[in-house]
Amino acid sequence: MSVAGQPILDPVLAPPFPKAALTVLRDVQLRKNVAHATDVIQAKRARLVAEKPDWQALRASASQIRDEALDNLGSYLEQFEAQCTARGGAVHWAADAAEARAIILGILKEENASEVIKIKTMTSAEIQLNPYLQAAGVKVFETDLAEIILQLGELEPSHIVVPALHVNRSQVREIFARTMGLSDLSDDPQALTAAARHYLRRKFLEIPTAIGGANFLIAETGAVAVVESEGNGRMCLTLPRTLITLAGIEKILPRYNDLEVMLQVLARSATGERMNPYTSLWTGVTPGDGPERFHVLLLDNGRSAIRARERERQTLRCIRCGACLNACPVYRQTGGHAYGSVYPGPIGAILTPQLTGMKHAQSLPYASSLCGVCYEVCPVKINIPEILIDLRAQVTDQERKKAARLFDPMYLGMRVANLLFSRAWLFHWAQWMSRIGSKVFTRKDGWIHSLPGMGGEWTQTRDLRGLPKQTFHAWWKQRKQASR
Amino acid sequence: MVEAEKAGLAMSPKSAARAAILGKLGTECRAADGASRPEPIVRDYIRRGSLDADACVAKMIERLREYDAEVTECSPEGLALEIANQIVRSGRKTFVAPAGVPREWLTPGFDWRIDGDLAGPLAIGEIEDCDGVLTACFCAVADSGTIVLHHSPAEGRRVISLLPDWHLCILRASQIVETLPEYFDRCAKPPALVTWISGPSATADIEMTRIKGVHGPRFLNVVVVKDGKTENQE
Repeated sequence: MSVAGQPILDPVLAPPFPKAALTVLRDVQLRKNVAHATDVIQAKRARLVAEKPDWQALRASASQIRDEALDNLGSYLEQFEAQCTARGGAVHWAADAAEARAIILGILKEENASEVIKIKTMTSAEIQLNPYLQAAGVKVFETDLAEIILQLGELEPSHIVVPALHVNRSQVREIFARTMGLSDLSDDPQALTAAARHYLRRKFLEIPTAIGGANFLIAETGAVAVVESEGNGRMCLTLPRTLITLAGIEKILPRYNDLEVMLQVLARSATGERMNPYTSLWTGVTPGDGPERFHVLLLDNGRSAIRARERERQTLRCIRCGACLNACPVYRQTGGHAYGSVYPGPIGAILTPQLTGMKHAQSLPYASSLCGVCYEVCPVKINIPEILIDLRAQVTDQERKKAARLFDPMYLGMRVANLLFSRAWLFHWAQWMSRIGSKVFTRKDGWIHSLPGMGGEWTQTRDLRGLPKQTFHAWWKQRKQASR
Repeated sequence: MVEAEKAGLAMSPKSAARAAILGKLGTECRAADGASRPEPIVRDYIRRGSLDADACVAKMIERLREYDAEVTECSPEGLALEIANQIVRSGRKTFVAPAGVPREWLTPGFDWRIDGDLAGPLAIGEIEDCDGVLTACFCAVADSGTIVLHHSPAEGRRVISLLPDWHLCILRASQIVETLPEYFDRCAKPPALVTWISGPSATADIEMTRIKGVHGPRFLNVVVVKDGKTENQE
């Protein structure tokens, strides 16, 4: 789905959500795949959350731990840097995507690396690392099964945990058969998984440079944790000579022991498992075990600006479990691509516009019915609906200052409404006028079935109750007079 | 964009970006353990489990089996025999074991390659050629069926429990705790290397169908040794 090598998941270039969603909503196969996958994860998650009597206590602690990390982020990052460096790691800092890409390429050049193996990391998708490295002549091999499907099929991720959930088995079979030259491959997931295992085995053993992300950075010890299922992470973390970890600055946890909370909520929320098959934690370089050279790249790319805003700071608590995506009635219909960002769903709707400094993706805060289920399932209690409303207000504030909005019917209407609502006599007059005006459109049953012009956009899909003969005010006055 | 990236590199982006980021975040006064917060972090979640030792072991075994791991039990005296049983039944021939495991665990008559003895570490290729691996572990968490490796000499380097397709893990009953926080209570100090293993390698990336065995070992066998003791601290 990339056009001439240009990723569609670039918030700067993506069309507004309602427009992008229309295309997706016509794709019956994709909607079926997304509905199936989100149904399965939701059901598993619900069952495992129900068996935890202390779930709400875990959520409360998890959100407080994340808040503590964010409140003291600068000093915890310094502590992480000091600890990691003391254990033989090299810590780099990048203010934005361009710096991060340049630093990574710099390290790869030092290593004379023409190939890298990669663990799934959304942060690398955020900075569009793969196309950049490929253009610089570095061959990139994704190793997570879903990422292989996307890379070989030249598709874009649509979910932060299960990025290929919009692709079904026969589509995977077609991609693998074509790109791996396996014409007699069956569409049995077991066979497809075996094909991926075979495809990657030699790459794990032979490519000496790996790039991965981090689920958590432990300030106390300088350790990094990666949570995964397949073992491709463990391969990339132990076999290569050089490991580069790209992590957003918000991934900090204050203490090692904080994992006792985070590991309990993460897998249950993400995949509906009591625990994911593998979690790895390492600290700098351990002689004789794993990579000889270890680099951590701490990426800001808009995060410090989000942290600076009091109400929106909680956005950064996110541990990327994807529970809000699976639960969201909007995401479940559209899937991820309509959001035009590597971070789709409710968390994407608040994270993406903020990461661009509220310059792009401004339709995303509206891609929600504000039903609140995202807040309910969030293991770190991010009040997504509250932030959505706040961002909507910011979008409107920015928009109404634009000259182009002076004669925009919606903004014009809002200004008129503002005037009418602020003066009682004007309001009563407007009510009287509307009653007369709407009489023509009101049918005998008391409903308005169709309106002309802009009003038609409302009545196209629903009826409108006709205005009553008497306003509440008038009725109240009359009642008081009658009782006297 | 390319010029900007070159320019960024020339002026040492590390120091510049570091100063810029920390400048925005601020690094002033952080006292120990979240003292900057008006209230300390509330930890009302379950710390200690409520099961007795036998029930805890039973839960661990149940959870492991749910992950499709094969579990057997034995007495401390019967361990060597049970390991031999597992080794023979696996139908495999070449095994890797870390230098720290007791010699009597190494069933005679099979090709054992020892990692980290006097001959030093095995080459990756030698480990890859092995059919199976035998290790001890640090701890296990019954609540989630998780085995924890701290990669001590008896647990081995990370790579040996990764490449072979069959992992036989020896777990003493006294190493089993019920809840995850109880594991953290057993860590005298934070370890440098940890691997938490919950069942064999798996994926659900294709239509959410759980498939066993992607890149890590496809088979996890666990021998629970009923040693009848409980440990509280390491």
